[in-house]
Amino acid sequence: MTTAPTTSRELTFRVRRFDPDTGSAPHWDSYTVNVAEGMTVLEALHQIKAEKEPTLAWRSSCRMGVCGSCGMFINDLPRLACQTQVLHLGTHVITVAPLPNYPNVKDLVPNLEPLIEKHAAIKPFIIHPNSQEVDEPTGEFLQIAEEREAFSQFTYCIKCGLCLAACPTVATDPLFLGPQALAQAYRYTADNRDCGVEERLESIDMFHGPYQCHMAGACSVACPKGVDPAFGIQLLKRTLVLDSIGFGKKKSSVAKVSPLADVVKAIEEFAPPPRTVSQ
Amino acid sequence: MRETRLWSLHLLAIPIIFVLLGMHLAIMHYAPVFYGMSVDKAREFGTMIERGKSVVQFVLYILLLIAGLYHGLYGLRGILRELPLTPTLIKVVDIGILTFGLLIFALGTYVTWWTFSFKAGG
Repeated sequence: MTTAPTTSRELTFRVRRFDPDTGSAPHWDSYTVNVAEGMTVLEALHQIKAEKEPTLAWRSSCRMGVCGSCGMFINDLPRLACQTQVLHLGTHVITVAPLPNYPNVKDLVPNLEPLIEKHAAIKPFIIHPNSQEVDEPTGEFLQIAEEREAFSQFTYCIKCGLCLAACPTVATDPLFLGPQALAQAYRYTADNRDCGVEERLESIDMFHGPYQCHMAGACSVACPKGVDPAFGIQLLKRTLVLDSIGFGKKKSSVAKVSPLADVVKAIEEFAPPPRTVSQ
Repeated sequence: MRETRLWSLHLLAIPIIFVLLGMHLAIMHYAPVFYGMSVDKAREFGTMIERGKSVVQFVLYILLLIAGLYHGLYGLRGILRELPLTPTLIKVVDIGILTFGLLIFALGTYVTWWTFSFKAGG
């Protein structure tokens, strides 16, 4: 690929097309698009769909890098189409394909079921021994800033699936839980409010779990939210090893404080300070 | 915690191999440096038999055999199990590697024991 001069505004998009209903093999179609400064790949696709190819399919929603729907393989890297500015790619020809390591539904639409299934497998929720307390909490659990900091970055995951598309291990071992699920396993295991450490660790302590990670780090590079799943997997390994030799967190050490009734009462009794400046 | 223990042992084998292989190199290949003995002399049959009669050496070489075999074969298992295998083939890989490891361990132990219990002319 050659570097595009900054004055050029007409670029070629090579888009991977696939329609299972027609039975034809996947192929590439090219479209010329007039691009402006600040235009994203998602906007270019909208332009192609509006002006040239109404059957072109992809998945998108928020247009601001929050929902994680528009993950695509843009210029051979997994990226969010809504966060990728066309001119920043710096090429005359821009290739857009569906995310690798996922089945292809149609055109640029990947089937994200593997991501969802693996995510669900690691029990991505706070586990509490008393389900009544979860449904109808009688108090709140204390969590100080340092405790939150232990897993804070992993809460930014938007489940876009780019990390699985970038992962070389997922490419060769589809059963590998993958960076997204494993980083989330660490996120919940490190949460001091969680009481299901053993249950969760038991579900991931297998051959296709964290030990399959080759530490390529491609997941961390691909993540559009700055999460470092590769680091999360290493932290998870440490947690598993410590737990296996009896030094793990056996149960939540969190203290339940401030019954909600007291909080409500405190709010009700709250009196604003006297005014110091007369109106 | 099965896989965690297997993986932890895999890592634990690394420093063991590092130390014991270092000792092996010092004894066999760097004998002029550490023992003032020529390499040819260090590799002579008589010298080996003499060393092999040491209980310490016997134990250390068995440990090196265990650590080396475990580390290597666990790594090989990891490579083979990344292939798209059926559950039956996965069992074949696991059992095959375990069997191969035990056979090589038995052979290595026999050789080490043979050296340890060698009697000249016997």
